[in-house]
Amino acid sequence: MEIKQLSYYINEVKIIKSEKHNKKIRVAFIGSSTLNGFEETIQVQCNEEKINCITYNSPYNQFNQEILNENSNLYKFKPDIIFLLIDNRTILENLFYFTNIDSKIEYKKFLEEKFNQLSNLINIITKKTKSKIIIMNFVIPTYSSLGIFESKIEYGVKEIILDLNKKLKEFSRNKDSCYIYDFNSFVTKFGEKNILDYKKMNYGDIQIDFNLIPYLIYEFLGYVKPILGLNKKCIVLDLDNTLWGNIVGEDGFEGIKIGPYPEGRSFIEFQKVIKSLSENGIILAINSKNNQKDAMKVINEHPYMILRKNDFSCIKINWNDKISNMKEIAKELNIGLDSIVFFDDDPVNRELIKMSIPEINTIELPKDPSNYAQILRNLNDFNVLKITQDDTKRRIMYEQEQNRQKLESSTENLNEYLKKLNIKIKIKLDDKFSIARISQLILKTNQFNLTTKRYQEEEIKQFVDDQTIIVGCAEVEDKFGESGITNVFIIKKNSKEWVIDTFLLSCRIMGRGIEEAILGKILEIAKDKGIERIKANFILTEKNQPTKNFLKNYGFEKDGENWIFLLKNKIKIPDYLEVELNE
Amino acid sequence: MNENKLFSIVAKVFNVSVNQINYQSNPENIENWDSFTGYILLDEIESEFNVKFSIEEALQIKNIENFKTILKEKGIDIEKE
Repeated sequence: MEIKQLSYYINEVKIIKSEKHNKKIRVAFIGSSTLNGFEETIQVQCNEEKINCITYNSPYNQFNQEILNENSNLYKFKPDIIFLLIDNRTILENLFYFTNIDSKIEYKKFLEEKFNQLSNLINIITKKTKSKIIIMNFVIPTYSSLGIFESKIEYGVKEIILDLNKKLKEFSRNKDSCYIYDFNSFVTKFGEKNILDYKKMNYGDIQIDFNLIPYLIYEFLGYVKPILGLNKKCIVLDLDNTLWGNIVGEDGFEGIKIGPYPEGRSFIEFQKVIKSLSENGIILAINSKNNQKDAMKVINEHPYMILRKNDFSCIKINWNDKISNMKEIAKELNIGLDSIVFFDDDPVNRELIKMSIPEINTIELPKDPSNYAQILRNLNDFNVLKITQDDTKRRIMYEQEQNRQKLESSTENLNEYLKKLNIKIKIKLDDKFSIARISQLILKTNQFNLTTKRYQEEEIKQFVDDQTIIVGCAEVEDKFGESGITNVFIIKKNSKEWVIDTFLLSCRIMGRGIEEAILGKILEIAKDKGIERIKANFILTEKNQPTKNFLKNYGFEKDGENWIFLLKNKIKIPDYLEVELNE
Repeated sequence: MNENKLFSIVAKVFNVSVNQINYQSNPENIENWDSFTGYILLDEIESEFNVKFSIEEALQIKNIENFKTILKEKGIDIEKE
């Protein structure tokens, strides 16, 4: 996304008003200083990401009243995200100016008071709304009235802010709906001198320079995207002049540039950033026009390469066009094209992908590779609200998947193959420890998803506690390894009829009878409880075509808008897999 | 030249066409001109002409004519080619 001047957003917002998108979010800003321009910028930036963003900006410096008054406009607005933006002058009051050298005890007391005040505000918001709360941390003051002697005192204003930030972080770590936005780092990145213009502050308590507001909002979008399940899952990389300098086919193994010298360092840095993302669950793929043998030799043997063959879940090095390679990568990895970020140094290739597959985020790269790493670091696309064990194990799971595909191509018929896999399914009901992963799947699963209803983690928790609702999930393993929790279902119980509100399956395990087995097991559970019929729904979206005939093929019958299964009928569970139920 | 430059900044900030802008343009006759966008305008004029307005000068501005006067005091003649 290209970041523009503030005046662009303020004007553009009037034009985009009529555009409608499927994804919607309600964003509230509450703060202690002037936040004009925030609403317009986030609406326009969201629109560029195909999100309808509705905003609310609380009256100037009314954050206490807005939170404490339960009939406030903030609560009436029903936000999905609240940004609580309090500046360090407001929090420090007079201490911002006057530091004493021996007031340690008073300062500690002050710190406790301020922390209690803030955590109390956050607790009230959590009680009154299901909204995510993002609280900005505080900027460490760059001036001390003590001058160079500041470093000799035991506890001063800087320590108050450091401790307050630390305590807020600890507080938010244990609160699922609350996140800390590291504004102190934003100020470090852009520089206090560029952010805070005293004339603007005196004029209208404007504390962030106009043309940096769009950069701040871009970082805020890093929260919006994962809430809507729009975070990216995969980085697709070109090779020559992207992962290393020069062209291996022309300059040879020894002629490529990567290593501890000026032209080689950028690529090491870039690869390290990529590798760190992959360790937290982002999958990597290669899409390169090259001689496979030359390129693989670099990847396997070059002493300074950081990324090796095992880091990539899919490798397309050939002379096919990049568009079909890209589509194959998405297909093999079972991910949507819209969850891909693409890096290629060649502007022609970039233009090609942008034109033909606009849903891919194709990154503009400068000619000089020195900035590649920083460009990647600045992307807001890879944020997740939770990093689960499944994420960190994902790469290994894809490796197992490739072994499965090898077995499939060496086995003659599908049934034989499925038998050989020794699939075991473990179903868990209302399991509190799985809520994080369940909500992650609910937010991001598109293809095998009967109703595509999106629920936030707080709602799932309520369902788990609700006696009339079952929240189920299933772990799957086979001879090649575990796939972790890859299925979720939500059932609403009535006395004679159960309704399947949600049923989804991670697409990497589709088509092995697992979906039939889990559905069959649900039907068996219902039958055991004396239920007569199961009602299900299919809501067609742009992406869940593969699931269209699932209910019908299983034996559900159409009844108006719904699909019905009478439990007196035979319940099918494929016999080649094992299903276990943990209640 | 400078007049064009000034008018196009104003037009860009308030999202109106350049030929709607003249020295009498003010918050009354330009819909998008409010205290906040007025300040954005000041900010853009400062950076485009590489000058700084004092807060007193900033508070004096009621129309485009005022910008011309203050810029002239700072050695920038808007009406000169």
